[in-house]
Amino acid sequence: MQTYETLFITVPDLTEDDEKSTVEVLSKIVTDGAGTFHANERLGRKRLGYPIRKFEEGVYTRFLYDSEKDVPQELERRIKLSDKILRSLTVRLEVEWADHAKKQAVIDAERRVEAAERAAAEAVERAAAEKAAALAAAAAGDAAAAPADTADAAAVADTPDAVDTVDTADAAASTASDDQAKEDGS
Amino acid sequence: MIRKKAGPKHGRRRFLFRRKKYCKFCEAKSRWIDHKDMKTLQNYIPERSKILPRRISGTCAKHQRLLMQAVKRARMIALLPFASD
Repeated sequence: MQTYETLFITVPDLTEDDEKSTVEVLSKIVTDGAGTFHANERLGRKRLGYPIRKFEEGVYTRFLYDSEKDVPQELERRIKLSDKILRSLTVRLEVEWADHAKKQAVIDAERRVEAAERAAAEAVERAAAEKAAALAAAAAGDAAAAPADTADAAAVADTPDAVDTVDTADAAASTASDDQAKEDGS
Repeated sequence: MIRKKAGPKHGRRRFLFRRKKYCKFCEAKSRWIDHKDMKTLQNYIPERSKILPRRISGTCAKHQRLLMQAVKRARMIALLPFASD
């Protein structure tokens, strides 16, 4: 059993689904060949060091896996046949490096989960702020030509814990109340 | 016969203080150099994207070999250009 790392570049103008299926086909080769994945990550769109098949950009994907030697061979063969992959590089990692890479992969995975959670939490917060803004706008509408700072105060009162989103709420609330004021004027 | 006058032993060099070069990889105790680690590799490829020689960077022989390997791998996967100007 050895640890291998395969990097490959997919064509940048693939659709998301196409890209996913391409990566899936390749990752299936690893799992079918009794290999175990440590990392299967999309490193993202990067500028290429030189144009390949007239593409200036490429999407990098990285596989880190333990397997017997036939898996990377098969993987490379398939990559060569595929016209969606611009270039690939497979490296057998030496034991120390492999251990480090595996540990790093675990840390990265954890970090990604954390980031996803944070993004989700932020989305919830933003939704709450929007709700508060809507409420504030409604309050402003009730108070007809009430000054904007009343609406602001309402927004603050509605979201005491969403401090960093208050700004957007304020902006939304003030524009909303402005609109309301204009309507009332006409 | 006119013999060149022997100057002071080290010439002007004595007055030029030069910081001693050292191998940054040895300092970091790195046992491998990752071909994906662009932040590190970028330090060893000047604008023509050649590999910076040991005589300039001060890298030790062992790490220069690893560095060479890493840069060449990075070129194969288009993370670094083969040549540029």
